[in-house]
Formats: sequence, structure tokens, C-alpha cells
Amino acid sequence: MSPKAVQYRANSIIYFKGDQSDRIFLLNAGKVSLSSVDIETGQEVRDLIKMGEFFGVKSALGRYMREETAIVLQDSAVMVFSVPEFEQVASKNTRIITKMLTVFSNQLRRIHRQVQNLMVSDEQVNPETGLYKIGEYYLKNKRYGQALYAFKRYLVYYPTGSYATEVTSKIVQAEEYLSRYGSGAAALAAPGPAASATIEAPHAAAAPSPTTAETSEAAQQYYNAVSLVSQEKYLEAFKAFKKILDGGPDPENAAKAEFEMAKCLFYLKQYDSCIKGFTAIAQKFPKHPELKDALFFVGRSYEEKGDKAKAGGFYKKIISMGTEDDPVVRKVKKTLRSLEGAQV
Amino acid sequence: MSPAAGPDLSMFNRFSKTFRKGDIIFCEYEPGDSFYLIQSGRVQVVRIIGELEKNIAILNPGDYFGEMSILENVPRSATTIALDDVKALEFSRENFEVLTLGNPQIALKLLKGFVQRIYAQKRTFMILTLDDVEAKVADVFLMLAENQSTDTTLMDTIEFKNTVDDLSHWAGIPSGQCREVLNHFVAQRRIELYPDRIVVKNINDFARFVNSRRKHQEK
Repeated sequence: MSPKAVQYRANSIIYFKGDQSDRIFLLNAGKVSLSSVDIETGQEVRDLIKMGEFFGVKSALGRYMREETAIVLQDSAVMVFSVPEFEQVASKNTRIITKMLTVFSNQLRRIHRQVQNLMVSDEQVNPETGLYKIGEYYLKNKRYGQALYAFKRYLVYYPTGSYATEVTSKIVQAEEYLSRYGSGAAALAAPGPAASATIEAPHAAAAPSPTTAETSEAAQQYYNAVSLVSQEKYLEAFKAFKKILDGGPDPENAAKAEFEMAKCLFYLKQYDSCIKGFTAIAQKFPKHPELKDALFFVGRSYEEKGDKAKAGGFYKKIISMGTEDDPVVRKVKKTLRSLEGAQV
Repeated sequence: MSPAAGPDLSMFNRFSKTFRKGDIIFCEYEPGDSFYLIQSGRVQVVRIIGELEKNIAILNPGDYFGEMSILENVPRSATTIALDDVKALEFSRENFEVLTLGNPQIALKLLKGFVQRIYAQKRTFMILTLDDVEAKVADVFLMLAENQSTDTTLMDTIEFKNTVDDLSHWAGIPSGQCREVLNHFVAQRRIELYPDRIVVKNINDFARFVNSRRKHQEK
């Protein structure tokens, strides 16, 4: 069997809403419109199919009822595919699939948001507290490797967060238990033989890691410094980070330390040094995950120095780098608004 | 095609990541900008609810996870843990196109997955837009029956391995309110409530009830 070419007369119907079928259509010539009802507004929506466009894909692939009625507006030439025939054609031209993935992911995003808006859950937790509680749960259940992962991620995202001090001391505690009792992976509800005491950091598989003792010491040094930041002891923190930067062959902590030092400089009101520090980081790591935060500090430093034009420029740049729902972007927008408000 | 004998992905090795048994791959509430296709090993999906770690799913080679975070800047909605030593392809916004263009099987799998997710979300949307709380809970049972692909034309009584919390989650109502509704259904002898399961005595009765509520609402 191969795809069939079919002619449809104007005003005929290719399929009705509610039909179930595994046919997929491709418009070659003519004019076809899809008529459906918007689930949110209950209003009728009509979409014109473009020439060379597939339709009926979603319901055929998922074996669901058609959600729309396909109406022929002008005499049309249509290719009709079964699902396997469609898959064969699409496999030879992956661009067809990538294009559809984009369309479907937009639809998925839209419906996902609509559903989230309606969900009234009594278990809404903010992500910061949520992440902390997960670490707590695994620590309490002696699953130290997993506790460490959650706590370390916490410090990455919320280095000055409200649980930063507790998290820092819990990391030290978990690492100590880990070296004494093993990863606790045995507690996994997994079938199969229990894991023997593997003494390694959670990311051990990704890169050759230092021994546990070194990990603990380097990590402890770093988290102690972070803890100084959360206690707002910026000068001491700056010195502690500098020690890490000068002392270690540990590139991961060094990069993080550099970032934290520049941040301390901001709080120490050393705005020129702060700008210099973050600019160097941005040049060295153009894909730094916290690049937007770095630029935010640069912008704020300029603002503190009274250079509102430059500050505004950085804020706008950050906004252009992220999306609407990015928390950094939201924060920056607010700052930009008050900056512009102050100028008026 | 069996997942284990999946497409040849050796050319994508540079996007491959390994996790040791017991490693967390990502944690609930973390921001995320990547998703994973399992090449070998199994991955457990869990959520910690109260003081309990609840198993959501166990994923096998060929399955993928974490795709919602790449679509939207929303925090991860569950924690994933390597149940064995796991090898997985990591997709990000940047490498997504390279990976899918070079591998139609992966792209098709994602496409079908997205289709299922869209329908699942639409189904949830239908439940949430019912005005009547009892109809919402009844419609959750109908959705669960559809997912079990139980043929409801042949039998009326269906057993669900779900808890009150599951139902309240799907119905989008607080668990206290959900319990009230369920107790009412128990009093009407429409369901039987057990700690680990719920038996619906006549699923077709629920279908009629939900349909009439929905029709009433449309007027």
C-alpha cells in the first residue's frame, strides 16, 4: 500500500469531529479549513490549511477522536496516508517532524498553562523550600548521596537563601556520614542486590573526582565561605573565597568562588571592582548559567555609581536574554521600572 | 522495534551522560533546561509527599523524561533517580535540533509522546472546568478508567489502585474536600473506599452523571 491521491469537491467534508481514524492528510492543491471549538472560550475556531501542510496528524497518531471537522472550501487535491506510511515519509524527511514538534510543543505549552491555572492545590510549595525539604527527607532516611545532591543544588540556586546556613552544615554532616556509612543507595526501593558502600560524590560518574576526603575538605571550605555570605560577613567571605581561588586545583569550586567574590565586592560597595570581576567572568564563561545574575550585579553597580544610562543598558540586555517567566528577568524588569520611574 | 534494540545512537555519544546507581538525575523544584532519553538502565520517578517518597513511575531504555522543563521555565515536577547505572542522551534547547534531525526514530517517538501529553492535558482540563465538585471527582474515575483502557461496556465495577490524594490532585481540589465527596459517594453506595484502593461500583452511572452535568453547564 502507498499513499493515495484523492480529489475532494468544494463543500465536502474530509472528516467530522468525533470520527476515529488512522488517516493523515496532506493538502496538495485547493483550500481546506479545520473547524474546532476552543476548549477555553467555547467559541468556534477556523484554521486554514496551508498548501503542503499535513492535517489530522494528532488524532491519527494518538488514535483519538478527531477534534475538528475538515471542510473543503474549494476543490482540493489531498494525499491520504496511513500512520505507517506517514512515518515512512517523515523518517526520510526529519524536517517534517521537527516542524510538527515545534507546533505540538507550543500546543502542549499552552494547554499545560491552562491546566496549571485551574489547579487549586493545597500543597503549593515554593521551589526553595521544596528543594530544602527533599534534602531533609533523604538525610533523615539515611540516603546521604541523594541528600547531598539536593543540598548542593540548593546552594547553587540559593547561595544566600533562607536555609543556606542549615544546608551548609547539613552538607558537612551528610558527607561525614557518607564517608562512614556509604551512599545509602541500598535504601533505594530497587530490586536487585543492595549497593555496597560506594564512597563517591553524586557526580563521580561525570568526571574523575578527587577522593572523598579531598571532596569534603574542598567542599567544606567552599560552604563555609558561602555561609559567611549568608551571614552578610562579606569581607570575611571574600577572603575565604580568595583562599579557595588561590589554593586549589579544583576548577569547579574556583569558578564558583570567583563569582561569589565579585558578588561580595558589590555588597562591600566596591562597585568598580565588582564590575571588573563580573566582566571578566562573563568574558571567560560566555555561557555561564548565572550570566544574567552577573550582568545584574554589573547593572546595579553602575546604578549605585549614578550611571543610570549604563545601568539601564545592562538591565535591557538581561531582559532580552531571558523569557517572560524567568525570575531573574522579572526581578530586572522591576528594577528597570523603578530606575526609569526615578528618572522622570 | 523493541526499545533495547533501538536506533544506533553512537554518533550522539558526546551528548550522552552516565549516572551511577542511586544518583539523582534531577530533583523536584530544580529549574531545568534539558531532558533525557534513556539508553541503558532504569530510572525511577518519585515525589516526596509529606513524609513519604511516592513512586510515580519506573522508566526503561527508550523512554524519555524531563521534557516539560525544556518547554517552559517551570521547576521540575518530580525527582528522578538512577535505579541502575544509567546512560542517557541529554537534550537541551541547543542540541535538540541536531539530535532529532539526525535521528527520525527519536523525533517520531517525541512526536507521539507530545500527542499523548496534549490529550492527557486536555482531558485534565475537561475535569477541571466542571463546576460541580462531585462531577469532577466522578470524571477523574472516568479518566483513570480510560487510561487503564478498561472496556466499560462489558463491566460496571472497576477497582482503582489510587488514593484520596491522587484523586484530589487530578480533580484540582483540596484533599479534605475530596474526602468529603468520596464519603458522600460511599454513603450513596456508589464506591467502596479502602486505604490502598477505591472500588467504583458502577462506572457507567458515573459516566451518565458527568455527561449530564457537562450538558447542563453548556446551556
